[in-house]
Amino acid sequence: MLRNKGVLLAFRLVLGGLFVYAGAVKVLDPLDFAQNIRNYQLVGQSLSFIAAIVLPWLEILAGLALILGVWRRGAALVVTGLLVFFIVLTAVTMVRGLDVDCGCFGSLSRKSGWGVILEDLGMLALGLVLLVKERTGTRTRCTCPPTR
Amino acid sequence: MSDARRVLAQAAALVALSVLVGAAVHFPLVGRFARGEFRETFFQVSDYPGIRLIALAEAEDLWAGGTAVVLDARAEGFYGQGHVPGARNLPADASGFDVPAAILEVPKDRTFVLYCEGGDCQSSLALAKRLHEAGFRDVRVFTGGWSEWRAAGLPEEKVDAPE
Repeated sequence: MLRNKGVLLAFRLVLGGLFVYAGAVKVLDPLDFAQNIRNYQLVGQSLSFIAAIVLPWLEILAGLALILGVWRRGAALVVTGLLVFFIVLTAVTMVRGLDVDCGCFGSLSRKSGWGVILEDLGMLALGLVLLVKERTGTRTRCTCPPTR
Repeated sequence: MSDARRVLAQAAALVALSVLVGAAVHFPLVGRFARGEFRETFFQVSDYPGIRLIALAEAEDLWAGGTAVVLDARAEGFYGQGHVPGARNLPADASGFDVPAAILEVPKDRTFVLYCEGGDCQSSLALAKRLHEAGFRDVRVFTGGWSEWRAAGLPEEKVDAPE
């Protein structure tokens, strides 16, 4: 079923849409997002600032690439890499007992916790399917069985 | 190019593009950062005209004057172990924090003094933003925080542990 083009397209649209949205709300207020990053108490002021400038655009561009179908697997790699990072970050934050806003979806963000991890795991599943099943970008000869 | 290398190259290109677009779109902000702004806190005074950052002497004066509302933005446990006498505890954890009704009833032009642990603690600033959004227009953040207050040997108050 996962070879079905329609399913892969749906996965790309959902995941791409979520990433574009998540990036867009952060682009609007980079200082607020920088503060969110700083609140995790993992990196200093400068790195928080740089991440707040770059990360939202990485989410938007990777999301757009998924939606438009360009560089599909590269975009899927970026998205899954980010999600793995977010999951580890959230888990570490929980273990450290920090009470921080996840900073994931702008004003829709909520406290870093299990909900955020589950959400990220769901997206990670979509991302991994895309990473494994999508074409890299060059047309390869179809090896699928002939359809009736 | 092998498949894996192609995927890595695409991902690297996306990262590089993000750096370029981010720097271009936020060029003025990056310029201000390069000139030394936002090194202490990510806070634009122009966005919050009622918030001021103050030092120990001013915090002490306001506290001694007795007219300012002093708020401790640290977690309850730290507040219990010692706080500025008369300060109310309002832990400013980022999630679901609402300004309590008792605070909202305070006249909007009253002076507030907020503090957290000190150093690079951010909760007092987060609380200041909430108060500002709630309409308060004289919110002062004592950036030295509890650590500076204590180091100066100023009075402190504790919450007695329950029997």
